[in-house]
Amino acid sequence: MNTVVTDARVDAAPAVTARALTRRFGSVAALDDVDIVLRAGEIHALLGENGAGKTTLVRILAGLEHPTDGEVELWGAPVQQFAARAARRHGVALVQQHFTLVPTLTAEQNLVLARPTGRLLPRRGDATNRLRSLVERFGLDVRGGVPASELSVGEQQRLEILRALDADASILLLDEPTAVLTAAEAESLLAVCRRLADEGRAVVIITHRLAEVTAGCDRVTVLRDGKVVLADAAVSEQSKHTLAEAMVGRTSSATIGLAQMGDHELGVERIQVHHVTVGHLHDVSFAVRAGEVLGVAGVDGNGQAELESLLAGVRAPDEGTITLDGDRVEVMRPRDRIRRGVAYIPSDRYRWGMVRPMSIADNIELGRGGRWRTGRAARHRTAEPRLTEWDVRSAGAAAPVRSLSGGNAQKLLLAREMSPVPGAVIACHPTRGLDPLASSVIAERVLGAAAGGAAVVWIGVELEELLSVSHRIVVLAGGRVTGEFLPPFNRNAIGLAMGGDR
Amino acid sequence: MSAVTVDPGTSGAGGSGVEVAAGGVDRRRLVSTIGVPAGAVLASLLVGAVLIALEGSNPLAVYAEVFRGVFVENRGLRNTAIGATPLVLMGCGLAIAYRSSLYTIGAEGQYVIGAVAATAWATAGGVRDLPSPLLIVGCLVIAAIAGSAWSCISAALNTRFGTNIVISSLLLTYVGIAIMQWAIRVGIRDPESFIPASRMIGDAALPIVPGLNTHLGFVIALIVVPVLSVVMSRTRFGYRADVLGHNPNALGANEVRESRVMFGVLGLVGALAGIAGYIQVAGVTQRINAEFSVGYGYTAILVALLGRMNLVGVLLAGLGLSGLTIGLDVAERTYDLPSSLTGLLQALIIIFVVLADAIAGRIELRRP
Repeated sequence: MNTVVTDARVDAAPAVTARALTRRFGSVAALDDVDIVLRAGEIHALLGENGAGKTTLVRILAGLEHPTDGEVELWGAPVQQFAARAARRHGVALVQQHFTLVPTLTAEQNLVLARPTGRLLPRRGDATNRLRSLVERFGLDVRGGVPASELSVGEQQRLEILRALDADASILLLDEPTAVLTAAEAESLLAVCRRLADEGRAVVIITHRLAEVTAGCDRVTVLRDGKVVLADAAVSEQSKHTLAEAMVGRTSSATIGLAQMGDHELGVERIQVHHVTVGHLHDVSFAVRAGEVLGVAGVDGNGQAELESLLAGVRAPDEGTITLDGDRVEVMRPRDRIRRGVAYIPSDRYRWGMVRPMSIADNIELGRGGRWRTGRAARHRTAEPRLTEWDVRSAGAAAPVRSLSGGNAQKLLLAREMSPVPGAVIACHPTRGLDPLASSVIAERVLGAAAGGAAVVWIGVELEELLSVSHRIVVLAGGRVTGEFLPPFNRNAIGLAMGGDR
Repeated sequence: MSAVTVDPGTSGAGGSGVEVAAGGVDRRRLVSTIGVPAGAVLASLLVGAVLIALEGSNPLAVYAEVFRGVFVENRGLRNTAIGATPLVLMGCGLAIAYRSSLYTIGAEGQYVIGAVAATAWATAGGVRDLPSPLLIVGCLVIAAIAGSAWSCISAALNTRFGTNIVISSLLLTYVGIAIMQWAIRVGIRDPESFIPASRMIGDAALPIVPGLNTHLGFVIALIVVPVLSVVMSRTRFGYRADVLGHNPNALGANEVRESRVMFGVLGLVGALAGIAGYIQVAGVTQRINAEFSVGYGYTAILVALLGRMNLVGVLLAGLGLSGLTIGLDVAERTYDLPSSLTGLLQALIIIFVVLADAIAGRIELRRP
């Protein structure tokens, strides 16, 4: 089978032509009369807020979902049936946002699994060679021989892409591939995409990040509420500003920053981390003062998870000490953390922060309240004003948390953690997965807590955001603090520190 | 980290139906709380009717006889209440455990251990001469502690070694029954008795409640239901049990260590089962013999499932199943049917509950 698409194909019909695609879920239209054209040799960005219909669109192209209406042509031939197998035969490969690797299998085994080769499994040596040749050919570095669960997020992502390419994909659909990557990793991914496009493939990248669109893509389509608001535009004719406007329907202010919050005095040091070593972390020290926002920058997987569990009091340091308002704390009982006024915004809110099947009122009570509880009606009554205060849009306090959108769930979490006014805030990726509007609301609330005297640690991966919210930035790389920066921030120096250079 | 062991097979059957926190009665809740158990019972009665017809009897006549056996026959209602007592007590504990996603199936063992411990104490020299009320209260406490300790072995094994609770609780049941078999031959054997059996429980026997005509244990079961309902809806313990069932990580990060709630819930299951064991001795059998373990602890699993892990539901399911057993017993004698019919119908009910849950879940998926 040829992997490089022939020139004849390029000259002929576009790789994908979709006309009047509509997909309804009940009464809601996830996609509403969408046209899109994807050409070989181009990187096409699909931009839009959460819930705009981007994922639904690529899932239809990959045959994982049926359109309610409309038609799709692949290489000029109309698609008769929407089935994953048929789509794969036409060279369509989708790398989904949530990885589909089997965590206990190695990279080689995951490749074999994705591409069955008859009744007998290929020999181990053949599988290893196959992985190596793919890695070399596409320059996507993935370690073989280790279970996928032990690969870094970036490696898992690369493995997913290799797996798609292994199936001779000529139309590569990437659903938010950079969401979990660092700036450097994202940049190299874009470079790989460019090469794949140059070889004659059509590449689609779904993203939130405007910078990636302007930096690495050829054409862009913007979706909003299931409709195309900017169709197949040349990226060179767009700016971040025009794209943001198309995406949210108004000129968006980027995440709200300290600049908008006004000045306030910084107080005494409330959190002190002193020569702490645990897991990936090695000899990490820093302090945070009352009213200060300390941004922790760095590529995810460089000790952020350990830092999170240390500061939240879930894990004790192997060496070193952590003090909170002068008291040495190690593993805190959750109730002790709450009593000390430490607000904890976990990196995975649904896993550590909320109970999705239970009601909003029950979730607002998590970790709070005494031995006896009031009646259900009374609980709902007390919860309602807080939902209004924190602008949690919901069907009432009785509705389960799983009915909330990501932004509203996060606001609910803040409503719980931030009242009464906290003395310290451990915010881990607080805006992850949220659209720009929700992000700025969350940032405003966290910065508001700092203005009220809280010591805030903001662990994040998006540098732009950290630059705008932090009084000071420390960079984690390889489990060490490789740099500490004060405004005006020097992006290049921070970038170098993130790469591990001191 | 290894969280609470959840058996994926049973969690679908047990956990999906409960909507602990959602307020208001929406259609979906109605289907899962009433539609599923009612449908399951109806379907198994239908299949049962076919089987009865195959035996050569008229199913309608047989079911009429079941009804008569419970509501008309002398002592039918009384026997139903007495039969329901251990089912309701153990079903309540299991319902709470299943809401916490702790799939223990070892109530039978805790029941036997509770009965043996209470009987051993109440028949010991020096103790057996105590006044009756003191003996009864003492027996209840001892049975609760013994059953609870037995159940907590599963919790300890899970916390320390990550052992699956389903497996450890089941295997502990066999150990518990073996201990009972030893006890009635050696430890607490009645020297007067020809066959292996414990001494008579004597003054620790439960009095008959005037008016109700059942032993005191039924009243205890009737009190346990509302008390536990309040515990589940109005106390931190009940809240934590529900949170454990839905998201153990969030419990550990915001409330309390998961293992503490696990010990609490499994301890409660064991205490109720132990009490049920003692009540059975003190209210029905009067002594423990080799046939003491008849499987109430397993039927209670069905009661918890059929009652949709809701405590009032457990009471209704316990009474219903007990009534079915009593009525079928009468009908079997009248129509000369095989006595395995009761067990067969119970098994069918389980299958249909699980099936109906799966179907209800699928309908739910299709409707956005």
